[in-house]
Amino acid sequence: MDMFNAGGPEVSIRSLKKDSMKFVLSNCDLSVANALRRVMIAEVPTMAIDMVEIESNTTVLTDEFIAHRLGMIPLTSFDVDRIQYTRDCTCTLYCPNCSVELTLHVKVNVDIDEMNDATIDKTRHVTSIDLISSDESVKPVTDDKAHPILIVKMRPGQELKLKCIAKKGVAKEHAKWSPVYGVAFEYDPYNKLRHSHYWIEESVESEWFVSPNAQEETPPDPNEPFDYNAKPEKYYMELETSGCMKPEDVVLRAMTIMQDKLGGLQIKLDDEVTGEAQRWGY
Amino acid sequence: MNAPDRFELFVLPDGVKKLTITPDTKIPNAATFKIEKEDHTLANMLRMQLLEDPKVLFAGYKMPHPLDHYFILKVQTTPDTTPAHALGNAITELIQTVGAMKNKFEMDLIRARAFEEAKSNPVGDADDLSSHNVDMDF
Ligand SMILES: [Zn+2]
Repeated sequence: MDMFNAGGPEVSIRSLKKDSMKFVLSNCDLSVANALRRVMIAEVPTMAIDMVEIESNTTVLTDEFIAHRLGMIPLTSFDVDRIQYTRDCTCTLYCPNCSVELTLHVKVNVDIDEMNDATIDKTRHVTSIDLISSDESVKPVTDDKAHPILIVKMRPGQELKLKCIAKKGVAKEHAKWSPVYGVAFEYDPYNKLRHSHYWIEESVESEWFVSPNAQEETPPDPNEPFDYNAKPEKYYMELETSGCMKPEDVVLRAMTIMQDKLGGLQIKLDDEVTGEAQRWGY
Repeated sequence: MNAPDRFELFVLPDGVKKLTITPDTKIPNAATFKIEKEDHTLANMLRMQLLEDPKVLFAGYKMPHPLDHYFILKVQTTPDTTPAHALGNAITELIQTVGAMKNKFEMDLIRARAFEEAKSNPVGDADDLSSHNVDMDF
């Protein structure tokens, strides 16, 4: 452990909700905190619709428009470890080991009596709850049954019938696989380190509000000289998930991915170094 | 369409080495590491950890082009060690840091879950609850 962060990192959870959490990470380098943020956003695998086979579409939206909207729907992914990536699978396109099938079939019938009654709303809202999954653990996120995700609005006589293939993936490939809607990350709320440069008319104090996280830090002393050796110490992290998995699981999975990333490199480095030694005959 | 596959960003192709070491021909105790299919996430962590090592005289990284998915890491050390050894130490330190961070997170998670549960399932009378929860250090 280096001289600044002796004793290792500390974690203090400030709030834990169904799809969001706040915690304070301290006593570690900015690069580690930032790596955690980056891995949570882009490298934690989830499930998302990746292929759509449209059998019938007489709605006002085009096939590709609907396919794109379907891809964006968050799917519950707490059991994602059970599913393989298709590129690692023995199959060629998709199979039950690397995918989950979801189907949708909505047909709005024409009712002559209703058609002539202008007071009846004849618009059918096709939403994420119309998607029927073949797997109980992978289905559209529906924490709010009253407000599911709208896919398309239909009128009498129209039909939409399709089959979706959901696959495991990471947000490095497409943002639809990101488990988080946002990760907020703040440090040094008083800007003592001068990492931020505020645009001002006259003074920072009167023109910029201080973040609520500043309550946890000592205010700067105006007579104190600038400490050019100072490093950030506390990182105020906040994340909101899409509902695909618990926020604490996103953090834990991200940390495991960081460990695997480093561990994998350690092995490759050892291989290189011993290989080099053998080539030179030591 | 001639767009490159997006998985090229993180899938190591067959026959490509994850890591290559090129000793510097002009600077003593210096080497360039090329790490494939990784980005700032790993590169910046390694650079910062290497700079904590008093035997490391120089450590810096760059991603030469946004369409190439690798980074290069240049390291120069004092004569009593090697860049590969310093990198090995840096990785070990980082694995320990992340491991400790994960343990601390898991430990505090138990406390936070108990707290959230106590909040959603209140037991006992109202007076007892208010005196119990308000003072809880969170
Ligand atoms: Zn398969």
